[in-house]
Amino acid sequence: MIAVSTVAVRNIGRSVDSNDWVNHTHAVILETEALRSSLLVANGTLHTYVLTGDPRDQTACRNALADIDDHFQILSALTRLAPTDHAKVGQLELPINRYSRSIEELLVAKAAGQDNTVRTLLEASTINNAVREMERVIKSLKDNQLALLTERDTASYHQSQTTRWTVWTGVALNVLLLAGVAWLIRDDLSARRQVTTALEEANRFLESRVKERTRELGSANRHLSTENLERRWANHSLEHQLRYNQRIIDSISDLVFVTTHSLNISRVNPAVLHVTGADSTSLISKPLKEVVRLVVAPAGSLSPLPDPLKYALKAGQDLRDQPAEIQDRLGQRIPVVLSLFPLRDNNRVVGGIITLRVTRPASKHSA
Amino acid sequence: MDDLLQDRKMNAKRFANHFEDFKFDYHPFDVQSPKQFLITRRGDCIDYAVLADHVLSHHGIPTRLIRVEMVGKNTGHAVCYVTEDRAYLDYNNRKYFFVLQRSGPTIREIATTVARSLDANWTFAQEFSFDYESFIKRALATVVKTDPPELDADKVIPPRSKTNP
Repeated sequence: MIAVSTVAVRNIGRSVDSNDWVNHTHAVILETEALRSSLLVANGTLHTYVLTGDPRDQTACRNALADIDDHFQILSALTRLAPTDHAKVGQLELPINRYSRSIEELLVAKAAGQDNTVRTLLEASTINNAVREMERVIKSLKDNQLALLTERDTASYHQSQTTRWTVWTGVALNVLLLAGVAWLIRDDLSARRQVTTALEEANRFLESRVKERTRELGSANRHLSTENLERRWANHSLEHQLRYNQRIIDSISDLVFVTTHSLNISRVNPAVLHVTGADSTSLISKPLKEVVRLVVAPAGSLSPLPDPLKYALKAGQDLRDQPAEIQDRLGQRIPVVLSLFPLRDNNRVVGGIITLRVTRPASKHSA
Repeated sequence: MDDLLQDRKMNAKRFANHFEDFKFDYHPFDVQSPKQFLITRRGDCIDYAVLADHVLSHHGIPTRLIRVEMVGKNTGHAVCYVTEDRAYLDYNNRKYFFVLQRSGPTIREIATTVARSLDANWTFAQEFSFDYESFIKRALATVVKTDPPELDADKVIPPRSKTNP
């Protein structure tokens, strides 16, 4: 488009130039005609002045001579850059000078009343020869200019045609560009529509997924709530059971020891504290053998075991009604009957429950 | 005429103000006498330009007479260029508030501005002189539109300067 615009502007400039040259040729032709007219006016006013002697005719004749000189100067300037025409205009200079000098002489003679001189000058061929010479050159110059006018008009026409073609090329190019832009816009709109459709579909899919997920979450939440409630109930039940068990153990009058698998005390009931006079913190984690001691080997055993309690736990067997002693806080030994029950978790022995029944009442201890 | 010549405050605008109600009467490059022009209050561009040139020069204001030829017959136009104002006096503008038309000082610039004001193409322009004693116009420099501007006559010859006679 820039190239077409540049060419169009250049063509318009050339059109203006060629138009100027056509106008210039017209101006030369008009000046040639004006020179010829001034020549006729000068001749006419000269003869009128000779007949009437009226000074106004003399002035008119002198003005016509000045006009001839003026037109000659203009023609000379107009043809300055055209050597052939300039040479032709130059051919006018000599006859114009001769003509002007003769006319001046004639005017002076007439003003002085020298009628014979006037007659002689009029009869002489100087003026007529000069006029003929000027007419010949003017005709030749005009013919040349008319030929030149045809040539320049043709050039101007061709230039106009070129400008027209350039403009139409620009218009065609513009139409093509517009079509291209329209196609691009259409393509862009189509792509945008496709993207919008894809986005809407993705949106719908996401919405359905969100709904589905929300449903799942709601369901899971309800399930968890139920589970949580059940768990709470179970915990309550367990706590209740634990407290109940605790109460059962605490309400037993026999001494109850809960031990680990290695027979370290992990729990005692209040009867132990009552009988031994010790506090629970001094008993917890203490080895059981430091508090309770078996007196004899169990009945029916072939050989005495180093530690029947440890053996019973390892074997996972109960040990019932064994005579034993328990030492209280003051070091007094109290005879008891000992029973051991292995404590199982998932069918594995994790500790033991030892119960002691006091066979002889012991002295009371303050807690 | 005496009023114009004796007005001490004379300048281009003041001169133009005298001609607001003058009528247009075409005489193709025949200059009327100032007396006839001022009494009849009718004239054309050259009557006005020549009188402006005469009066303003009398008051020491440098002026130039420019004739611009447009395409066709009898389509010439004459203006009086006032050098210090860088503008010309045009008979066509005599009724307007802005009577001075600004233009560059070369003949080509003046011709281009004048032709543009008339919506026409110019072919050649000429700086000329005129005096009311001989009533004869004398060409000082001619510029042809199709010539290269660097060859213009007024580029070679400095513009004529006038002094108070």
